[in-house]
Amino acid sequence: MKRILVIFARDLKVNIREFLTLYIILVPVIFGIAINLIAPSVNDTTVNLALIENENVEMQEYLEDFAKVSLYEDEEALEERVARRDEVFAYVPDGDTYYILAQGNETEQMTDIVAFILAAYEDGATLSNSTAEIHEFGEVVSPIKKLLVNIFMMFSAILGGMLIAINIIEEKVDKTIRAVHLTPISKTGYIFGKSLIGAFIPLYGSVCMLLITGFSDINWLQMMVIVVVSMVISILFGFIQGINNSSVMDAAGSVKMLFLPLAGSVAVAELLSDKWQWVVYWSPFYWTYKGIEKILTYQAEWKEIFIYSGIVVLISIIIYILLMPRIRKGLS
Amino acid sequence: MKLWYSYLKELKLSSKGFYFYIEIIMTLIILVLLLFVIPENYSPTEEEYLSLDLPKAVEEYYLDEMLEEDLDGKVEKVELELDDEVIVADLYETEGQEIYIIKDKEDLIGLTKADRPRIGALISMDSETGGIKYDYYIQGYESDRMKNLYRIINNENIEGIIADAEGIEVKELQVGYEQLNTRQNSVPALITFNGSLMGMFIIAAYIFLDKQEGVIKAYAVTASKVWHYLMSKVLTLVTVTIITTMMIVIPVMRTQPAYWALLILLITSAFFSSSLGLLISGFFDNMTQSFGVIYVFMMLFMLPAISYFIPSWSPGWMQAIPIYYLILAFKETILVNGDMQFVMLVSLGFLLGGGILFLLANNKFKKNLAI
Repeated sequence: MKRILVIFARDLKVNIREFLTLYIILVPVIFGIAINLIAPSVNDTTVNLALIENENVEMQEYLEDFAKVSLYEDEEALEERVARRDEVFAYVPDGDTYYILAQGNETEQMTDIVAFILAAYEDGATLSNSTAEIHEFGEVVSPIKKLLVNIFMMFSAILGGMLIAINIIEEKVDKTIRAVHLTPISKTGYIFGKSLIGAFIPLYGSVCMLLITGFSDINWLQMMVIVVVSMVISILFGFIQGINNSSVMDAAGSVKMLFLPLAGSVAVAELLSDKWQWVVYWSPFYWTYKGIEKILTYQAEWKEIFIYSGIVVLISIIIYILLMPRIRKGLS
Repeated sequence: MKLWYSYLKELKLSSKGFYFYIEIIMTLIILVLLLFVIPENYSPTEEEYLSLDLPKAVEEYYLDEMLEEDLDGKVEKVELELDDEVIVADLYETEGQEIYIIKDKEDLIGLTKADRPRIGALISMDSETGGIKYDYYIQGYESDRMKNLYRIINNENIEGIIADAEGIEVKELQVGYEQLNTRQNSVPALITFNGSLMGMFIIAAYIFLDKQEGVIKAYAVTASKVWHYLMSKVLTLVTVTIITTMMIVIPVMRTQPAYWALLILLITSAFFSSSLGLLISGFFDNMTQSFGVIYVFMMLFMLPAISYFIPSWSPGWMQAIPIYYLILAFKETILVNGDMQFVMLVSLGFLLGGGILFLLANNKFKKNLAI
């Protein structure tokens, strides 16, 4: 155990001397703050409307209840604004009434909403003569924030794996890996020692991210179980890449391939209906994603966490057994 | 001429490397995903939980209307779970919607809280007005504007408003715009990241490999200029980007894209990102050191994809990231009647930006070698 820690301490020292100080300390903080800034603004997005300034102040005030309103000097300026590449509609005065100016590439659904809001204004519909009442459950954290935090946490795990791969390859290039055979540490010990640095980054990154984005009251024990389990697969992959590749480039290329199942798993979990979820059952990222999502929504039960992490561990074991011969070969 | 030979040599060397094949495999996987997994026309299914508390005749009318829109014309009985209790609901599947009719109001509230469907609503008769009343149950993170929209959509004069909305004139600046289908629409984002942006990462790895092996120093004593060496790397990357991107675009988009414009944009954007990769690698000794910086750039460059898929969310700072325009320009190249002026403008921007970065990188490498 002591020797394993020595390897870890050495990795930590070498990495801190290099870029890791920058990465470890800053990146989760920067992304945490970025998520805090981005999430509410995405969540607040309904439609964007452009109007002529002071043309109809009453209408402008009315519309602000439903849409983001920006003001322009004249019709020409409105047209220039709508023509830009983001999605903004304009209400242009035409006698007593208005017409909608659109770029032409908007979806029909969006155009319908914009027309509805204008008609509601012209017909004098107010919030007070609404037939709907809204009841809220008091949830404040938006799904987009959870999504971003979740993706970032999985990214950190991959990053850990990538770092292990790069570390091992650099050891190889420096020929220090052969020297290990002459030291009292066993091969397994070496594997564990090398993996600790890859485990440290996702752990630190996740905790930092969760604290900054305001998830300090989640069930931390459950979260740690999922984070640790999710690291196993990236560490394993990083290690295998490190052992089997002789240049940083090859390893970087193959770790790149891990991004694909990650993105795919998130896309399927978020976009497809229940009956299509099985498509990504093989992907450990899918189960990790689901686990983290449950914890972030404060709905996770231990039973679920154990099932999800159990599946991830099982997939990792299968991959390990399949690739065992290559690991042995690479180490010898 | 020397540059041409260096380029050919680099290309030959890289085609022998393992990395080259990973790129090809990755591209093939993306292609398979595009052709067989991503549906051509996908509209996300939204779940709605409804509970009806209406006089029998109104309720029957309401359900009949829904049944008419049901895809298979049949009501499905489904079991929903709430706190280990099984609740049976009627499921109506319409285009883009899964509507669950839940009998009990308390179950509706409990399920809406737990399962987070897009909408949970109780529809009942308003005893005061005699009209229909909607009680929405929402999570609470929805913005005030969204809540107001829910309120205004359900208005006493709803039918009048809908009729008036249909009568409003919509003028479009760009006539004859053809929307891309879901599969085609994901192409610009995918090729931006797989092709153009990965160049930054890979070229840095390339340079460090050569640094380790002393190739760069060896260059200093040859008649070749440093910029030849750097440019041959950039051109190799540009070539790989063109090959992998075309492998994706041709099968998915067939003859629709303006290939000449796509090619120009690919060359200029790959030139930009690989020059940026070169410049970054000039400041570090090995991959581990530069990894953090490259990673931050990659994350930053991925952000505009959010705006690409949610166009109504494109804040000013997002529009300051050059990749925002790159994704949009790629889209223009594959559209029917795309805006070629815009594509050329973006290409020019990337060419100039890439040129400046390349000059800076060249200076940096020259200095490094002098020491």
